[in-house]
Amino acid sequence: MDHNEALQEMLAEKYLLDELSPESREEFEAHFFGCTECAEDLRAGAVLVEGIRSELADRPAEKPAEIPVQRGGQSGWLAWLRPALVVPALAVLAGVIVYQNFVTYPQLKTAANAPQVLPWASVSVSSRGANAPVITTRPGEGFLLFVNVPPDTRYSSYIAELRNPGGKVDWSLAIPASSDDSYPVHVPAASRAEGTYTLIVQGVTATGEKTEIGRTAFELRVL
Amino acid sequence: MEFYAFDNAYLERLRSGDFRTVEHFVSYFSKLIQLKLRSRVRSPEAIEDIRQETFARFFAALRSPDGLRQAEKMGAYVNSVCNNVLLEYYRSAARHAPLADDEDAPEIPDVKVDILGGVITRQTADTVRNILDDLGERDRRLLKEVFLDERDKDDVCRDFGIDRNYLRVLLHRAKQTFKSHYIKNIGEERGGAAD
Repeated sequence: MDHNEALQEMLAEKYLLDELSPESREEFEAHFFGCTECAEDLRAGAVLVEGIRSELADRPAEKPAEIPVQRGGQSGWLAWLRPALVVPALAVLAGVIVYQNFVTYPQLKTAANAPQVLPWASVSVSSRGANAPVITTRPGEGFLLFVNVPPDTRYSSYIAELRNPGGKVDWSLAIPASSDDSYPVHVPAASRAEGTYTLIVQGVTATGEKTEIGRTAFELRVL
Repeated sequence: MEFYAFDNAYLERLRSGDFRTVEHFVSYFSKLIQLKLRSRVRSPEAIEDIRQETFARFFAALRSPDGLRQAEKMGAYVNSVCNNVLLEYYRSAARHAPLADDEDAPEIPDVKVDILGGVITRQTADTVRNILDDLGERDRRLLKEVFLDERDKDDVCRDFGIDRNYLRVLLHRAKQTFKSHYIKNIGEERGGAAD
């Protein structure tokens, strides 16, 4: 055994804690009798241990720090089911239900049944170079789009797809083909951002083949 | 001349019976012998007997014509002699016949039969107190249960939710802090170099 091994293995500590096997203990003793460093280390440790015994014997016994215990003995998530928390939460929930039933829903019903003038614009997929029409709405208000599509007997239906200013598809609508060249589309109320919207119209044949007929744009402004 | 170096000069002074050298030698190795014997021999009187016999045999060998000549083997030789004396103690055989009264034999200084080989000084006690105060309450309780209450260490580790290495590291750190004060104090107690 060399000195480094004794240090790395913490043999002095193990010796003081009486953790060494008889063979290891004899081996370490043979080492520290000839190694002044380990001998000093061990002697210091022994004095420390005796000092600890002496000092702690004179001190009053310490009790472990107590962890506060909740009243009622509840623990974990069940502790949330206390009256102090549940009652106010139920009151808030009841308030929401009452408001929705007596305020929000009647307003929505009235809005759905009452006649109203909506903002509108006429867009044509065949027109090129024309200025984009402007639709001005109030927040949450729908609008009308009169989509003009030149009749083409090749198509049994059309698909109108609206893309928002970010380029994402807002909605897609199937329109049965007719002899008319203008299709009124009600765009329902929704939180829409201001900007340029693009309407793309595809013609769909009886066999399901799709062909883009054209696209047009309009400007949405929200008051 | 270095007082503390176990070199050939030291050995010669020991052989010649230089009092201060003998006193240092006995003090140094007495502590190591007591550490060695504390876990093997219960009786303080038996520890003292074994200590005395070890030194007697060592000095006899030192002064014999074929005795110890290499200083670097001195510590190992003391340990070996102590092992032999301990074996004899265990076997409860007849003790090694005391040496014939030799007027030239160095007188082995008497030392207090306690593990420390001396009284805990006030400085040492203050150092230990400061070390304990710097520990948390949990570590203090841990040391108390291990060293004062002498509970089984496996039980203590299980109760505290720690492993043996935690205990060793705790002791190691405390020892390192203590050593810096202890060795300084010991150095002051040793005095100057031998003539």
